[in-house]
Amino acid sequence: MAVQQIMQMPEPAAPDRIHHSDEASKWFLTTSLIGLVVFGSLGLITAIKFVFPPFLAYISWLSWPRVRPSHVQGVIFGWLIPVAYSMFFYMIPRLCGTKLYSEKLGKIACVIWTTGVIIGTTSLLNPAGGDHAAGTLNLWLMTKGKEYEDYDVVSNVFLTVGVLLVAFNTFRTIASRRYRQIYVALWYAMATVMWTALVYVIGNWPGQAIESTFGIKAAFSGTNDANVNWFYGHSVVGLVATPGAIALAYYFIPKAANAPLYSHKLSIIGFWTLGAIYFWNGAHHLIYGPIPYWLQTIATIFSFLLFIPVTAAVVNFLGTVRGEWHQLRYNVPLKFFVAGVIMYFLVSSQGSFMALRQVSGTVHFTDHTIGHSHLALFGFATMFSYGAILYAAPRMWRRPLYSEGIAEWSFWLSLIGVIIYVISMTISGFYQGILWQDPTIPFINTVTAMVPFWHARAGGGAMMVIGMILMAFNIYKTATSPAPTDDKTLSASGTAVAASAN
Amino acid sequence: MAKPQAEQSVFWLGSFTALTFIVAIFATGIAPSVNPHLNGDFADEDHYHASYQEVGGHLVQVSSEHLIPGEPVYGYNELQERGRLVYQREGCVYCHSQQIRPLDSEMLRYRIGSSVAPASDEREYIYDQPHFLGTKRNGPDLDRVGGKYSDDWQYSHLYNPAQMVPGSIMPAFTWLFVNKNPADPSYIPVPTQDAVALVAYLQTLGAGRQVYDPTLNGGKGGWRPWLKLQDALTSESFSENRVNEAPVPVKVVGGERASSPVLMQ
Repeated sequence: MAVQQIMQMPEPAAPDRIHHSDEASKWFLTTSLIGLVVFGSLGLITAIKFVFPPFLAYISWLSWPRVRPSHVQGVIFGWLIPVAYSMFFYMIPRLCGTKLYSEKLGKIACVIWTTGVIIGTTSLLNPAGGDHAAGTLNLWLMTKGKEYEDYDVVSNVFLTVGVLLVAFNTFRTIASRRYRQIYVALWYAMATVMWTALVYVIGNWPGQAIESTFGIKAAFSGTNDANVNWFYGHSVVGLVATPGAIALAYYFIPKAANAPLYSHKLSIIGFWTLGAIYFWNGAHHLIYGPIPYWLQTIATIFSFLLFIPVTAAVVNFLGTVRGEWHQLRYNVPLKFFVAGVIMYFLVSSQGSFMALRQVSGTVHFTDHTIGHSHLALFGFATMFSYGAILYAAPRMWRRPLYSEGIAEWSFWLSLIGVIIYVISMTISGFYQGILWQDPTIPFINTVTAMVPFWHARAGGGAMMVIGMILMAFNIYKTATSPAPTDDKTLSASGTAVAASAN
Repeated sequence: MAKPQAEQSVFWLGSFTALTFIVAIFATGIAPSVNPHLNGDFADEDHYHASYQEVGGHLVQVSSEHLIPGEPVYGYNELQERGRLVYQREGCVYCHSQQIRPLDSEMLRYRIGSSVAPASDEREYIYDQPHFLGTKRNGPDLDRVGGKYSDDWQYSHLYNPAQMVPGSIMPAFTWLFVNKNPADPSYIPVPTQDAVALVAYLQTLGAGRQVYDPTLNGGKGGWRPWLKLQDALTSESFSENRVNEAPVPVKVVGGERASSPVLMQ
């Protein structure tokens, strides 16, 4: 029936000018930019502790193993996902030719989500003591101890409710759209919220909630636990961060470049292959581990199949920019996107090869993985988010971007920073992996040999964090600067230009 | 109407995929976990992991039908469970993996004396919730660390890692210790119950692991603990200090144990 209703919808007429208030979008953007600076700085602390271990040591809640998961979780749940939601709430109403279903619901979701992130970060840092100052051992209030699902159970409640509210808002808005066709960015946006809810519940609830509640070793234990953990852990990257960022790219690259999408068919191929393939990749985090051999092989094969959605997306994005390369001289959002697209291809290819047994045998457990994850979540997802923000924020607040120069600085600092970071970590990973192949070398010698690379990493990381601060400052000044008094419109790069005669 | 059919078929395809997925999750994840011993049964066919054993100074391949020992005992007592919680809270897993991969270099690196560390086996983790397999080795793997060092060594190392291993970047977990008299320069930090539990847990790692030895029982073959008796004795106080009932004062003694002669020629 729903299908018949869709078919009876009129072909799109030119919509009336809709005044989008973008309240929910602004709220999510604010919280995500705060998260960006806070959790990025936690990452810098982590990097500094490598080259100078006494830095902020002797305080239990600032020790390395508590700051590190706070950084990882915070960057994903405190920055990447909220900023994706913010941009969803910006682009979905515009792509549907209607208002957001409920700005109020979006703001409530933002408050709930942010509360979850704060509670979760507190549980990881674990500053409050039960018996003594070292922290609590209460299963409800402490880290789950599994990568990417470290946040405690209480925080999981907030984050689950938050994503369900965002999903409800998204689907209701799209259901009341005025165009029959659903543009691919909306496909990705819907998939992102749906997959987030799915993998978040599977990853976080069965194992820990049952144990915390009933005190029994339930649901998953041992290698099953590891397998579910990595199904979830890889899905957070592949089915939450990746489609979120790609949704932004499919909307904002054509917008920023002012060019039509290269191929709609390619975008559909990319979408369905992404959904079909990414679910199977988790076990490649356990290559040579104590899980069945065939499971590892499946993960390796599907890691290579990922070339299909990745190539489809990359070709589509670069094809869209085709003929518009001259804009890279001055169009900062487009710069972020093109750099992100290239790094998306690099990181996905690297990931496929890292899933090979021979390669994994050498680089697994080394810094190589750390470089890979930063190329993905910073070089790809964060760069896309930066580009989207720089395009959308001036339009949300209806003000010109505060400073093109600061935006340029944040671009070059981020780009050069992440390149230094990834190259140093990639080399260091291979180096350490090769050193480990000789069992006569004491382990500590393979650690101290990495110190020069860690210095480079801390330097690159510092540049990335300065870029983050500049970005947040730029958006803050854009939002708080006085509204332009005369009639102005906004160019693609976000600068104010005088409206041409109409 | 062609188009609605297409959209409906997409709907059914999606629903079917989701259903398959849920069933697969149940069959592979939940069902085997309800009965932990099912894990071992599942493992039989694909049991390639511990296929290398050290026999007479050489690594030899052992056929897979020999790799199922009797009843594995990998459970934890109350103190060790608490140790796992401390391990979880302090985030040890972010720097220390708990899996020996079936690579020669790895099995030799984590040996104790002449006992080569066998590759990890899924049954070792049956009682682990959460799992601590880990993904990053900023420090060495811990899956075979039980019995490698004395409890005193572990306390001293936790209190000040760089003192025991020069150049170590491991954070000092001083909050796991109580300083009995800070004003006294010759004070002795005393481990809290958390530290005691943590070390008790560390000493269990790998302790239940058995390996197949073809030379046992007059050449008929049999199972024995992976850590040979002479290596366990060389690793001082292996048996006495396994479980600690009371806090033990920290003594800083010795450095890292002198390494045994390398097995592989």
